[in-house]
Amino acid sequence: MCESNVYLNKAGQEELLMEKVDRIIPAEDGSIFLENVFGERRVIKARIIEMELVRHRIVMEETSDAAVAQKRQEIWLEPATDHGHFHAGEEVILRVHKGYNMKPGDHKPKTDLQAFGVSEGMSRPLTLQEHHGNLELNLGQEADGLLHIYVREDGDHQLYGVIVMEIGHHHHHGLKPLGLPLEIVPADYSHARMGDSYEIRVLADGKTLAGIRVSATYAGTHNREYPHHLKTDEEGRAKIFLTARGNYLFSVTKDNITSTFTLVKSF
Amino acid sequence: MCKNMPPLELAIQFHGHICPGLLMGIRVAEFALKELGISPDVDEELVTVVETNSCGVDAIQAILGCTFGKGNLIYKDYGKNVYTVASRDKGRALRIAQKFGGNRGPESQRFRELAQKGNLTADEAAEKENLTGILFERLMSAPFEDLFEWREIDFVFPEKAKIHATIQCAGCGEGVMDIRAVDTARGLICPTCLEEKGGQ
Repeated sequence: MCESNVYLNKAGQEELLMEKVDRIIPAEDGSIFLENVFGERRVIKARIIEMELVRHRIVMEETSDAAVAQKRQEIWLEPATDHGHFHAGEEVILRVHKGYNMKPGDHKPKTDLQAFGVSEGMSRPLTLQEHHGNLELNLGQEADGLLHIYVREDGDHQLYGVIVMEIGHHHHHGLKPLGLPLEIVPADYSHARMGDSYEIRVLADGKTLAGIRVSATYAGTHNREYPHHLKTDEEGRAKIFLTARGNYLFSVTKDNITSTFTLVKSF
Repeated sequence: MCKNMPPLELAIQFHGHICPGLLMGIRVAEFALKELGISPDVDEELVTVVETNSCGVDAIQAILGCTFGKGNLIYKDYGKNVYTVASRDKGRALRIAQKFGGNRGPESQRFRELAQKGNLTADEAAEKENLTGILFERLMSAPFEDLFEWREIDFVFPEKAKIHATIQCAGCGEGVMDIRAVDTARGLICPTCLEEKGGQ
Protein backbone atom coordinates (compact mmCIF):
# COMPACT_ATOMS: atom_id res chain seq x y z
CA MET A 1 0.00 0.00 0.00
CA CYS A 2 1.45 3.34 -1.00
CA GLU A 3 -1.34 5.73 -0.08
CA SER A 4 -4.96 5.48 0.89
CA ASN A 5 -8.14 7.46 0.92
CA VAL A 6 -9.37 8.17 4.41
CA TYR A 7 -13.10 8.10 5.06
CA LEU A 8 -15.09 9.23 8.06
CA ASN A 9 -17.91 7.00 9.16
CA LYS A 10 -20.84 9.23 10.04
CA ALA A 11 -23.88 7.34 11.22
CA GLY A 12 -23.13 4.47 8.89
CA GLN A 13 -22.36 6.70 5.89
CA GLU A 14 -18.79 7.05 4.71
CA GLU A 15 -17.58 10.51 3.75
CA LEU A 16 -14.25 11.07 2.05
CA LEU A 17 -12.04 12.99 4.49
CA MET A 18 -8.74 13.07 2.62
CA GLU A 19 -7.36 11.57 -0.57
CA LYS A 20 -4.03 9.83 -1.08
CA VAL A 21 -2.90 9.91 2.53
CA ASP A 22 0.64 8.61 2.95
CA ARG A 23 1.29 9.45 6.59
CA ILE A 24 -0.85 8.78 9.64
CA ILE A 25 0.36 9.46 13.17
CA PRO A 26 -2.00 8.64 16.02
CA ALA A 27 -1.35 10.62 19.20
CA GLU A 28 -1.81 9.65 22.77
CA ASP A 29 -4.36 12.44 23.19
CA GLY A 30 -6.79 10.72 20.85
CA SER A 31 -6.01 12.84 17.81
CA ILE A 32 -4.71 11.58 14.47
CA PHE A 33 -2.37 13.51 12.21
CA LEU A 34 -2.88 12.95 8.48
CA GLU A 35 -0.70 14.04 5.59
CA ASN A 36 -1.23 13.26 1.93
CA VAL A 37 0.96 13.17 -1.15
CA PHE A 38 -0.11 16.73 -2.02
CA GLY A 39 1.34 17.99 1.26
CA GLU A 40 -2.05 18.69 2.81
CA ARG A 41 -2.21 18.11 6.54
CA ARG A 42 -5.03 17.63 9.00
CA VAL A 43 -5.41 16.71 12.60
CA ILE A 44 -8.68 15.16 13.65
CA LYS A 45 -9.98 13.66 16.81
CA ALA A 46 -10.85 10.20 15.63
CA ARG A 47 -10.12 6.52 15.91
CA ILE A 48 -9.38 4.08 13.12
CA ILE A 49 -12.17 1.53 12.76
CA GLU A 50 -11.12 -0.24 9.57
CA MET A 51 -8.05 -0.48 7.32
CA GLU A 52 -8.53 -2.16 3.98
CA LEU A 53 -5.02 -2.11 2.64
CA VAL A 54 -5.55 -3.78 -0.71
CA ARG A 55 -8.26 -1.28 -1.56
CA HIS A 56 -6.25 1.66 -0.21
CA ARG A 57 -9.07 2.55 2.15
CA ILE A 58 -9.00 3.61 5.79
CA VAL A 59 -12.16 4.31 7.75
CA MET A 60 -12.20 6.46 10.86
CA GLU A 61 -14.79 7.59 13.33
CA GLU A 62 -14.69 10.94 15.04
CA THR A 63 -14.40 11.02 18.81
CA SER A 64 -16.11 13.74 20.80
CA ASP A 65 -14.35 16.79 22.29
CA ALA A 66 -15.45 15.63 25.70
CA ALA A 67 -13.90 12.20 25.23
CA VAL A 68 -10.59 13.74 24.24
CA ALA A 69 -10.70 16.34 26.99
CA GLN A 70 -11.35 13.59 29.47
CA LYS A 71 -8.40 11.67 28.14
CA ARG A 72 -5.74 14.28 28.59
CA GLN A 73 -5.33 17.30 30.82
CA GLU A 74 -2.36 19.60 31.09
CA ILE A 75 -1.26 22.28 33.48
CA TRP A 76 0.75 25.23 32.28
CA LEU A 77 2.01 28.57 33.46
CA GLU A 78 1.64 31.94 31.79
CA PRO A 79 2.93 35.34 32.87
CA ALA A 80 0.39 38.00 33.80
CA THR A 81 2.00 40.29 31.24
CA ASP A 82 2.04 40.28 27.46
CA HIS A 83 5.32 42.15 27.47
CA GLY A 84 7.45 39.01 27.24
CA HIS A 85 9.35 39.59 30.46
CA PHE A 86 9.20 41.39 33.77
CA HIS A 87 11.45 44.23 34.80
CA ALA A 88 13.59 44.24 37.92
CA GLY A 89 11.50 45.63 40.78
CA GLU A 90 8.24 44.70 39.07
CA GLU A 91 5.86 42.20 40.70
CA VAL A 92 6.27 38.84 38.99
CA ILE A 93 2.86 37.21 38.67
CA LEU A 94 2.19 33.93 36.90
CA ARG A 95 -1.12 32.22 36.26
CA VAL A 96 -1.62 28.48 36.53
CA HIS A 97 -3.99 26.95 34.00
CA LYS A 98 -5.43 23.50 33.57
CA GLY A 99 -6.97 22.36 30.31
CA TYR A 100 -5.74 21.33 26.92
CA ASN A 101 -4.08 23.00 23.92
CA MET A 102 -3.69 26.26 25.87
CA LYS A 103 -7.43 26.41 26.40
CA PRO A 104 -8.40 26.28 30.07
CA GLY A 105 -10.98 23.60 30.73
CA ASP A 106 -13.62 22.99 33.36
CA HIS A 107 -11.26 21.17 35.70
CA LYS A 108 -9.45 23.43 38.15
CA PRO A 109 -5.92 22.59 39.30
CA LYS A 110 -5.98 20.57 42.50
CA THR A 111 -5.63 22.54 45.69
CA ASP A 112 -2.58 20.56 46.76
CA LEU A 113 -0.71 21.67 43.64
CA GLN A 114 2.92 22.43 44.45
CA ALA A 115 5.03 25.20 42.96
CA PHE A 116 8.76 25.81 42.99
CA GLY A 117 11.10 28.54 41.82
CA VAL A 118 14.65 27.71 40.79
CA SER A 119 17.26 30.39 40.39
CA GLU A 120 21.04 30.00 40.26
CA GLY A 121 20.58 26.31 41.08
CA MET A 122 18.64 27.05 44.29
CA SER A 123 15.07 25.75 44.59
CA ARG A 124 12.40 27.25 46.84
CA PRO A 125 8.72 26.43 47.33
CA LEU A 126 6.25 29.06 46.13
CA THR A 127 2.81 29.88 47.47
CA LEU A 128 -0.22 29.62 45.20
CA GLN A 129 -3.19 31.89 45.72
CA GLU A 130 -6.65 32.42 44.25
CA HIS A 131 -7.13 35.75 42.55
CA HIS A 132 -10.37 36.58 40.77
CA GLY A 133 -10.99 32.90 40.11
CA ASN A 134 -7.47 32.33 38.78
CA LEU A 135 -4.78 30.37 40.50
CA GLU A 136 -1.73 32.61 40.67
CA LEU A 137 1.85 32.63 41.77
CA ASN A 138 2.96 36.01 43.01
CA LEU A 139 6.72 35.97 43.38
CA GLY A 140 6.92 39.60 44.42
CA GLN A 141 9.81 41.68 43.17
CA GLU A 142 12.61 39.70 41.63
CA ALA A 143 16.18 40.63 40.79
CA ASP A 144 17.57 40.69 37.25
CA GLY A 145 18.05 37.21 35.87
CA LEU A 146 16.33 34.06 34.67
CA LEU A 147 13.73 32.33 36.83
CA HIS A 148 12.85 28.71 36.27
CA ILE A 149 9.44 27.97 37.76
CA TYR A 150 7.42 24.79 37.80
CA VAL A 151 4.19 23.43 39.22
CA ARG A 152 3.36 19.81 39.95
CA GLU A 153 0.01 18.12 40.36
CA ASP A 154 0.08 14.60 41.74
CA GLY A 155 -2.45 11.91 40.93
CA ASP A 156 -2.88 8.81 38.80
CA HIS A 157 -1.61 10.94 35.97
CA GLN A 158 1.07 13.35 37.14
CA LEU A 159 1.16 16.83 35.60
CA TYR A 160 4.05 19.26 35.38
CA GLY A 161 4.06 22.80 34.04
CA VAL A 162 7.37 24.62 33.53
CA ILE A 163 8.13 28.19 32.51
CA VAL A 164 11.26 30.28 32.21
CA MET A 165 10.73 33.94 33.07
CA GLU A 166 13.16 36.65 32.21
CA ILE A 167 13.58 39.47 34.70
CA GLY A 168 15.23 42.42 32.99
CA HIS A 169 16.99 42.05 29.66
CA HIS A 170 19.80 40.23 27.95
CA HIS A 171 20.07 36.91 29.69
CA HIS A 172 21.35 34.85 26.83
CA HIS A 173 22.84 31.89 28.57
CA GLY A 174 22.03 28.24 28.92
CA LEU A 175 19.65 26.80 31.47
CA LYS A 176 20.22 23.77 33.62
CA PRO A 177 17.45 21.18 33.46
CA LEU A 178 15.34 20.86 36.58
CA GLY A 179 15.74 17.08 36.67
CA LEU A 180 11.99 16.33 36.61
CA PRO A 181 10.73 12.83 35.70
CA LEU A 182 9.64 14.32 32.37
CA GLU A 183 10.76 17.75 31.22
CA ILE A 184 10.94 19.99 28.16
CA VAL A 185 13.97 22.27 28.20
CA PRO A 186 14.86 25.05 25.76
CA ALA A 187 18.02 23.94 23.93
CA ASP A 188 19.59 27.37 24.13
CA TYR A 189 17.78 30.06 26.03
CA SER A 190 17.66 33.37 24.23
CA HIS A 191 14.93 35.72 23.11
CA ALA A 192 12.73 33.66 20.86
CA ARG A 193 10.88 35.60 18.23
CA MET A 194 8.41 34.94 15.54
CA GLY A 195 10.24 33.72 12.44
CA ASP A 196 12.95 32.00 14.50
CA SER A 197 13.67 28.32 14.49
CA TYR A 198 13.33 27.20 18.10
CA GLU A 199 14.81 24.06 19.57
CA ILE A 200 13.79 22.15 22.66
CA ARG A 201 15.07 19.02 24.36
CA VAL A 202 13.04 16.38 26.16
CA LEU A 203 14.53 14.79 29.23
CA ALA A 204 13.35 12.13 31.65
CA ASP A 205 15.15 12.33 35.00
CA GLY A 206 17.83 14.37 33.27
CA LYS A 207 18.38 11.84 30.46
CA THR A 208 17.53 12.56 26.85
CA LEU A 209 14.39 11.03 25.39
CA ALA A 210 14.72 10.12 21.73
CA GLY A 211 11.83 9.52 19.37
CA ILE A 212 9.12 10.95 21.59
CA ARG A 213 6.31 13.08 20.24
CA VAL A 214 6.07 16.67 21.43
CA SER A 215 3.00 18.75 20.67
CA ALA A 216 3.23 22.51 20.27
CA THR A 217 0.56 25.16 20.24
CA TYR A 218 0.25 28.92 20.66
CA ALA A 219 -2.02 31.35 22.38
CA GLY A 220 -4.08 32.52 19.41
CA THR A 221 -4.70 29.21 17.70
CA HIS A 222 -8.14 28.55 16.26
CA ASN A 223 -7.40 24.85 16.21
CA ARG A 224 -9.21 22.68 18.70
CA GLU A 225 -6.28 20.28 18.45
CA TYR A 226 -2.59 20.98 18.80
CA PRO A 227 -1.47 22.49 15.47
CA HIS A 228 2.11 21.17 15.60
CA HIS A 229 3.59 17.78 16.35
CA LEU A 230 7.33 17.25 16.60
CA LYS A 231 9.45 14.18 17.19
CA THR A 232 12.70 14.26 19.13
CA ASP A 233 15.89 13.07 17.45
CA GLU A 234 18.51 10.78 18.95
CA GLU A 235 19.71 13.59 21.22
CA GLY A 236 16.17 14.28 22.42
CA ARG A 237 15.98 17.49 20.38
CA ALA A 238 13.16 18.83 18.24
CA LYS A 239 12.78 22.08 16.30
CA ILE A 240 9.87 24.25 15.38
CA PHE A 241 9.65 27.35 13.22
CA LEU A 242 7.75 29.97 15.20
CA THR A 243 5.05 31.33 12.93
CA ALA A 244 2.58 32.83 15.38
CA ARG A 245 2.45 35.76 17.74
CA GLY A 246 2.37 35.28 21.48
CA ASN A 247 3.46 32.50 23.77
CA TYR A 248 3.91 28.89 22.72
CA LEU A 249 3.18 25.80 24.76
CA PHE A 250 5.05 22.52 24.31
CA SER A 251 3.59 19.35 25.76
CA VAL A 252 4.90 15.83 26.10
CA THR A 253 3.32 12.72 27.59
CA LYS A 254 5.10 9.54 28.64
CA ASP A 255 3.51 6.76 30.63
CA ASN A 256 1.51 8.48 33.35
CA ILE A 257 3.19 11.89 33.19
CA THR A 258 2.36 14.95 31.08
CA SER A 259 4.80 17.83 31.20
CA THR A 260 4.48 21.24 29.54
CA PHE A 261 6.87 24.07 28.86
CA THR A 262 5.69 27.61 28.16
CA LEU A 263 7.85 29.60 25.80
CA VAL A 264 7.29 33.26 26.54
CA LYS A 265 7.58 35.55 23.53
CA SER A 266 7.31 39.30 23.50
CA PHE A 267 5.66 39.23 20.10
CA MET B 1 9.16 48.94 23.99
CA CYS B 2 12.34 47.48 25.44
CA LYS B 3 14.41 46.68 22.39
CA ASN B 4 14.64 47.59 18.75
CA MET B 5 11.94 45.65 17.00
CA PRO B 6 13.13 43.21 14.34
CA PRO B 7 11.97 43.94 10.77
CA LEU B 8 9.46 41.11 10.75
CA GLU B 9 7.73 42.41 13.85
CA LEU B 10 7.79 46.01 12.61
CA ALA B 11 6.03 44.96 9.44
CA ILE B 12 3.42 42.82 11.17
CA GLN B 13 2.69 45.57 13.71
CA PHE B 14 2.30 48.08 10.90
CA HIS B 15 0.19 45.88 8.64
CA GLY B 16 -1.91 44.41 11.45
CA HIS B 17 -1.77 40.77 10.45
CA ILE B 18 0.47 38.18 8.82
CA CYS B 19 -0.17 37.18 5.25
CA PRO B 20 1.94 35.81 2.39
CA GLY B 21 1.96 39.17 0.57
CA LEU B 22 3.41 40.94 3.59
CA LEU B 23 6.07 38.24 3.97
CA MET B 24 7.13 38.74 0.35
CA GLY B 25 7.50 42.47 1.07
CA ILE B 26 9.57 41.68 4.15
CA ARG B 27 11.91 39.54 2.05
CA VAL B 28 12.29 42.40 -0.47
CA ALA B 29 12.98 45.01 2.21
CA GLU B 30 15.51 42.88 4.06
CA PHE B 31 17.25 41.95 0.81
CA ALA B 32 17.46 45.61 -0.26
CA LEU B 33 18.98 46.65 3.07
CA LYS B 34 21.65 43.98 2.78
CA GLU B 35 22.35 44.20 -0.93
CA LEU B 36 22.61 47.99 -1.00
CA GLY B 37 24.36 48.18 2.38
CA ILE B 38 21.88 50.74 3.66
CA SER B 39 20.00 51.55 6.85
CA PRO B 40 16.29 52.30 7.08
CA ASP B 41 15.42 55.76 5.88
CA VAL B 42 15.36 58.71 8.25
CA ASP B 43 14.85 61.70 5.97
CA GLU B 44 14.50 60.66 2.36
CA GLU B 45 17.94 59.13 1.87
CA LEU B 46 16.03 56.27 0.24
CA VAL B 47 13.35 56.24 -2.42
CA THR B 48 11.23 53.21 -3.26
CA VAL B 49 9.07 52.91 -6.34
CA VAL B 50 6.37 50.27 -5.92
CA GLU B 51 4.37 48.96 -8.86
CA THR B 52 1.60 47.51 -6.70
CA ASN B 53 -0.57 48.62 -3.81
CA SER B 54 -0.76 45.17 -2.22
CA CYS B 55 0.27 43.99 1.25
CA GLY B 56 4.00 43.85 0.53
CA VAL B 57 4.14 47.66 0.27
CA ASP B 58 3.42 47.92 3.99
CA ALA B 59 6.59 45.96 4.70
CA ILE B 60 8.51 48.46 2.55
CA GLN B 61 7.09 51.34 4.56
CA ALA B 62 7.65 49.72 7.95
CA ILE B 63 11.12 48.30 7.33
CA LEU B 64 12.73 50.65 4.81
CA GLY B 65 11.06 53.81 6.09
CA CYS B 66 10.01 54.81 2.59
CA THR B 67 6.54 56.03 3.38
CA PHE B 68 3.55 57.69 1.82
CA GLY B 69 3.82 60.56 4.32
CA LYS B 70 7.47 61.32 3.65
CA GLY B 71 6.94 61.28 -0.07
CA ASN B 72 9.73 58.79 -0.74
CA LEU B 73 7.33 56.00 -1.61
CA ILE B 74 6.28 56.38 -5.22
CA TYR B 75 3.33 54.32 -6.34
CA LYS B 76 2.84 53.26 -9.93
CA ASP B 77 -0.44 51.48 -10.47
CA TYR B 78 0.92 48.72 -12.69
CA GLY B 79 -0.42 45.74 -10.73
CA LYS B 80 3.05 44.17 -10.59
CA ASN B 81 4.96 42.96 -7.58
CA VAL B 82 7.99 45.01 -8.53
CA TYR B 83 9.93 47.21 -6.13
CA THR B 84 12.76 49.59 -7.00
CA VAL B 85 14.77 50.61 -3.97
CA ALA B 86 17.23 53.47 -4.49
CA SER B 87 19.78 55.04 -2.18
CA ARG B 88 20.80 58.68 -2.70
CA ASP B 89 23.93 58.19 -0.56
CA LYS B 90 25.09 55.13 -2.48
CA GLY B 91 23.87 56.37 -5.85
CA ARG B 92 22.49 52.91 -6.51
CA ALA B 93 19.09 51.47 -7.30
CA LEU B 94 17.91 47.90 -7.26
CA ARG B 95 14.88 46.69 -9.20
CA ILE B 96 13.42 43.61 -7.50
CA ALA B 97 10.66 41.69 -9.26
CA GLN B 98 8.70 38.77 -7.88
CA LYS B 99 9.14 35.75 -10.12
CA PHE B 100 6.02 34.58 -11.86
CA GLY B 101 4.92 31.56 -9.85
CA GLY B 102 7.25 32.47 -6.99
CA ASN B 103 4.37 32.44 -4.53
CA ARG B 104 2.11 29.86 -6.13
CA GLY B 105 1.10 26.37 -5.19
CA PRO B 106 -1.93 24.60 -3.76
CA GLU B 107 -1.46 26.13 -0.30
CA SER B 108 -1.22 29.69 -1.67
CA GLN B 109 -4.29 29.09 -3.81
CA ARG B 110 -6.29 27.75 -0.90
CA PHE B 111 -5.08 30.59 1.36
CA ARG B 112 -6.32 33.14 -1.17
CA GLU B 113 -9.68 31.40 -1.36
CA LEU B 114 -10.08 31.51 2.41
CA ALA B 115 -8.77 35.08 2.66
CA GLN B 116 -11.39 36.25 0.18
CA LYS B 117 -14.18 34.43 1.92
CA GLY B 118 -15.98 36.19 4.77
CA ASN B 119 -17.28 34.48 7.91
CA LEU B 120 -15.02 31.46 8.06
CA THR B 121 -16.22 28.41 9.95
CA ALA B 122 -14.09 27.25 12.89
CA ASP B 123 -12.57 24.54 10.69
CA GLU B 124 -11.81 27.02 7.90
CA ALA B 125 -10.25 29.47 10.36
CA ALA B 126 -8.06 26.66 11.66
CA GLU B 127 -7.18 25.64 8.11
CA LYS B 128 -6.23 29.23 7.23
CA GLU B 129 -4.10 29.42 10.34
CA ASN B 130 -2.30 26.20 9.41
CA LEU B 131 -1.75 27.48 5.87
CA THR B 132 -0.34 30.74 7.24
CA GLY B 133 2.18 28.71 9.21
CA ILE B 134 3.13 26.56 6.21
CA LEU B 135 3.47 29.55 3.87
CA PHE B 136 5.27 31.59 6.53
CA GLU B 137 7.99 28.99 6.92
CA ARG B 138 8.28 28.44 3.19
CA LEU B 139 8.44 32.10 2.18
CA MET B 140 10.78 33.14 4.97
CA SER B 141 13.13 30.18 4.44
CA ALA B 142 13.18 29.97 0.63
CA PRO B 143 16.34 31.18 -1.13
CA PHE B 144 15.70 34.73 -2.31
CA GLU B 145 16.48 33.81 -5.90
CA ASP B 146 13.64 31.26 -5.85
CA LEU B 147 11.16 34.05 -5.17
CA PHE B 148 12.60 37.12 -6.88
CA GLU B 149 14.92 38.32 -9.60
CA TRP B 150 16.79 41.57 -9.33
CA ARG B 151 19.21 43.89 -11.14
CA GLU B 152 20.82 47.24 -10.63
CA ILE B 153 19.32 49.98 -12.77
CA ASP B 154 20.04 53.61 -13.60
CA PHE B 155 17.69 55.66 -11.53
CA VAL B 156 16.76 59.32 -11.76
CA PHE B 157 16.18 60.44 -8.20
CA PRO B 158 13.15 62.66 -7.69
CA GLU B 159 13.62 65.93 -5.81
CA LYS B 160 13.09 65.70 -2.09
CA ALA B 161 9.58 66.55 -0.95
CA LYS B 162 8.89 70.30 -0.71
CA ILE B 163 6.87 72.08 1.92
CA HIS B 164 4.31 74.33 0.34
CA ALA B 165 2.32 77.24 1.77
CA THR B 166 -1.27 76.66 2.90
CA ILE B 167 -3.86 79.14 1.73
CA GLN B 168 -7.55 79.45 2.60
CA CYS B 169 -10.07 78.12 0.08
CA ALA B 170 -12.49 80.83 -1.06
CA GLY B 171 -15.26 78.20 -1.16
CA CYS B 172 -15.21 76.17 2.05
CA GLY B 173 -12.71 78.19 4.06
CA GLU B 174 -10.50 75.18 4.74
CA GLY B 175 -6.75 75.30 4.25
CA VAL B 176 -5.31 73.94 1.02
CA MET B 177 -1.76 73.57 -0.34
CA ASP B 178 -1.19 76.57 -2.64
CA ILE B 179 -0.13 74.44 -5.61
CA ARG B 180 -3.34 72.42 -5.37
CA ALA B 181 -5.67 75.47 -5.28
CA VAL B 182 -7.38 76.47 -8.55
CA ASP B 183 -7.89 80.07 -9.62
CA THR B 184 -11.58 80.53 -10.45
CA ALA B 185 -14.10 83.37 -10.71
CA ARG B 186 -14.74 82.84 -6.97
CA GLY B 187 -11.06 83.10 -6.18
CA LEU B 188 -8.62 80.32 -5.23
CA ILE B 189 -10.59 77.23 -4.35
CA CYS B 190 -9.61 73.75 -3.25
CA PRO B 191 -10.01 70.60 -5.41
CA THR B 192 -12.94 69.45 -3.25
CA CYS B 193 -14.98 72.58 -3.97
CA LEU B 194 -13.98 72.44 -7.61
CA GLU B 195 -15.16 68.86 -7.85
CA GLU B 196 -18.44 69.48 -6.03
CA LYS B 197 -19.48 72.88 -7.38
CA GLY B 198 -17.19 73.60 -10.32
CA GLY B 199 -15.64 77.04 -10.54
CA GLN B 200 -18.89 78.85 -9.67
